[in-house]
Amino acid sequence: MDFLKTMSIAASGLRAQAGRMRIISENIANADSTPSTPGANPYRRKAQIFTSEFDRTLDARMVELGKVRTDNSEFRLKYEPGHPAADSNGNVKYPNVNPLVEMTDMREAQRSYEANVNVISATRRMIQRTIDILKA
Amino acid sequence: MAITDIPILSMLRTRLEWAQQRQRVLSENVANSDTPHYRARDLTAPNFEETSQVSPAAVSTVSLTRTASGHIGGIGSSGSAFQTEKGNYEVRPTGNAVNLEDEMMKVAANQMDYQAATALYTRSLNLIKIALGKR
Repeated sequence: MDFLKTMSIAASGLRAQAGRMRIISENIANADSTPSTPGANPYRRKAQIFTSEFDRTLDARMVELGKVRTDNSEFRLKYEPGHPAADSNGNVKYPNVNPLVEMTDMREAQRSYEANVNVISATRRMIQRTIDILKA
Repeated sequence: MAITDIPILSMLRTRLEWAQQRQRVLSENVANSDTPHYRARDLTAPNFEETSQVSPAAVSTVSLTRTASGHIGGIGSSGSAFQTEKGNYEVRPTGNAVNLEDEMMKVAANQMDYQAATALYTRSLNLIKIALGKR
């Protein structure tokens, strides 16, 4: 039945967005994870990649969580001479996490998640209509 | 005579099947709304003017061609006529061209279509019941 396929496709979207949310929360939680020794690198920002996979059993293009890649941009440098991880100039490397970017990313994930939930509830109402034919 | 041979019921059935297929395509679009290089698709509307005899086959078009007489005729593929949305200029830097608002509107419109068709179906069944003298 096509409606059940529709539900599975939307569920794959939900799974993908939830996975993305996990990575975002990891980034936000580690936004200030500094290294413990001078010269070591702090936490590197991660990014989730989505891929579109063709599912043969469902005959549809589902979303799959791809590899989690690291963001190779520069670390933030802060002048904190008293910090145990400060180098000879008194600078400490902070993770390349920008809370503003993470927040907008989170909003986008939330919006996409809601859209998928919307599709599921619309489909459920359609199934309900079909059952109503029997009741008439 | 099966109940589906009644023209209005078979027409409504085609409409319902089309809405069902379309819901699947729309859910694919929504699920892939953040996938790079994904282009939104939609189902072509069934053309009711062309043939008076409406059948579900009017929706599906893809089939295997027999190039030699020895070939066994393929079973009619369930693949339906998809079309990539045209006139969509909103392509994001990742190559994704799904407009979530448009898709939501389509899902709602599709749901209303389905509701209208099922309501008509119920009314048609009631007509038959009246003819049978059950009410």
